[in-house]
Amino acid sequence: MPEEMVTAQIDVFRHDPAGGGAPRYQRFTLELPPHTPVLTALLRIRAEQDPSLTLRYSCRSAICGSCAMQINSKSRLACQTPIGPEIAEHGRIVIEPMRNQGGVRDLVVDQTSFWEAYDRMRPHLITDPLRPMPEGRETSMTPAQVEQFRETPRCIACAACYSACPAVEADAAFPGPMALAKLYRFVVDPRDQARQDRLVRIQTEGLWLCLRCHLCTEACPKDVRPSERIRDLKEMAIAAQGGTERGSRHAIGFKQNIRERGQLNEMKLVLQTDGILGSVGQAGQGFKIWRKKPEISKKPRRIEGIEEIEQIYEALDPKPKGDR
Amino acid sequence: MKIAYYPGCVAQESGRELDMATRWVCRKLGIELVEFPTFSCCGSGFVDEANLTLNVALNARNLAIAERAGLDLLTVCSTCQGMLTLANVKMTEPAMRARIDPVLAKLQIAYGGKVRVKHLLEVLVNDIGVEAIRAKVRRPLTGMNVGAFYGCHLLRPTLELGSESAEEPRAFEDLLAAIGATPVMYRGRVMCCGFPILFVKPETANRISAHQIVDARDHGAHAMATPCPLCHISLDSFQNKASAAVGQKLNMPVFHLPQLVGLALGASPEELGLPRHLVPVEPAMARIGTPP
Repeated sequence: MPEEMVTAQIDVFRHDPAGGGAPRYQRFTLELPPHTPVLTALLRIRAEQDPSLTLRYSCRSAICGSCAMQINSKSRLACQTPIGPEIAEHGRIVIEPMRNQGGVRDLVVDQTSFWEAYDRMRPHLITDPLRPMPEGRETSMTPAQVEQFRETPRCIACAACYSACPAVEADAAFPGPMALAKLYRFVVDPRDQARQDRLVRIQTEGLWLCLRCHLCTEACPKDVRPSERIRDLKEMAIAAQGGTERGSRHAIGFKQNIRERGQLNEMKLVLQTDGILGSVGQAGQGFKIWRKKPEISKKPRRIEGIEEIEQIYEALDPKPKGDR
Repeated sequence: MKIAYYPGCVAQESGRELDMATRWVCRKLGIELVEFPTFSCCGSGFVDEANLTLNVALNARNLAIAERAGLDLLTVCSTCQGMLTLANVKMTEPAMRARIDPVLAKLQIAYGGKVRVKHLLEVLVNDIGVEAIRAKVRRPLTGMNVGAFYGCHLLRPTLELGSESAEEPRAFEDLLAAIGATPVMYRGRVMCCGFPILFVKPETANRISAHQIVDARDHGAHAMATPCPLCHISLDSFQNKASAAVGQKLNMPVFHLPQLVGLALGASPEELGLPRHLVPVEPAMARIGTPP
């Protein structure tokens, strides 16, 4: 039985920097069944209404990762997003290129920064030729070891996470969720011989700029859950090297801080992260806040049952490595 | 209703006005807050970066305290909400339980997984109901355009929170409309405030918070409101830094969620701790009663 049709009003971002002219939105109207993927609708537009519409795509099956774009402001795969729910929620469909990557033309973006960040992670097995694997066992892994990869091998490098990431938007030093999820995949690979070096390096190469907003995990069409693997990387980096950066010092300082009173001592935490000298730089702001909120200079109460907290720490956080 | 009150560290320290406003609103709406001086910090998204298992164990202890009293748990902070919910999820994983249960058992603590962690927003909208709140409004906030700012961990990761819609939430806006304010829709409302890296790379954090404030302002907001005291630190206490980061005076009043509800229900600014804000709220207050 033929499915009911919906009228799809699709506003597509158009821009051709080389040809001149300002960016604009062009409206197309089509009659389509509601299950039609956005990509199919765009290809219909190109075939029937405007052959100059420029976009990337290939497999149409959510495997190649080419057709990520913003659909009603959310970064997702056009081939995997049906038009029906979008129209039901928003009344129309606004199509824009991915964020955080420069525009080339229409929906095509310049992915140089995305791939450069990926390359910086050295996303390949690093082995020491002087320490070869035992004969005949070069690539063997147990099922339990494979499980350590979690969902990361599913990544299709579509860059939806990179487009959704506010840390990428605000700071070029952040490699982005996909690059870090790939890094995780090699850090936990038992065949890789650069684990320690990878964990030491990443502390200074942007790991601590993750905002753990989980927008990447929300955007990922393959449920790779990059934000959770970035959290794992932070814990592994601290275990490998301790608090060498402000980010790791802050996490370790916070952990120690709670051990003492069971709740946060705000002033002390600033000292733990910045050191005495660094804290002087924050003093002006601290004074401004203190005038309105004088209790920030007082020690908080110690919670009742603090001895229980201490015992939990003793059992589960025994190694003082890197703690200060 | 009766619920275990988990104020979190900031509402007991620099964000004390949030605690004041929460108590006032809950008293007014008949929500009995049961207090436990034994609660410890939720870990704030930092302790788990250093040691996830430790963090889950600390929060399993918190949850067990509420469970022993037969109560659900009320949070007033998106991050507390996220971290305690994360512990609830992790405590369903056998491998995690195998490490944590024996440690807690030595302290005669057992967590059975029965406690629901509810943010004040959820309690107000789902348990009390926007209509019941609307009926109690004495001073509708008519004329005040408010940009709700959710705070990441109230919404994400979806799998853990199971919230109504992490991408297009409506609960906060529904509540704002019920108290007479005009909700402002803008992209930044579900984005990050920058707080997690405020002490790691302040200049980047300030740019991020400025971005959301500018977005709210450009969509017509006279004020912003947040259910998270960490967002409040970033958006209010450090707004001067955000202004400097973008080279313009932002002057955006930022309310804690229960402060706006309290204002509409008739509380005075002093009862709600409004004079404690770094950015004065008076310009937004002056909008009350003007045509929307």
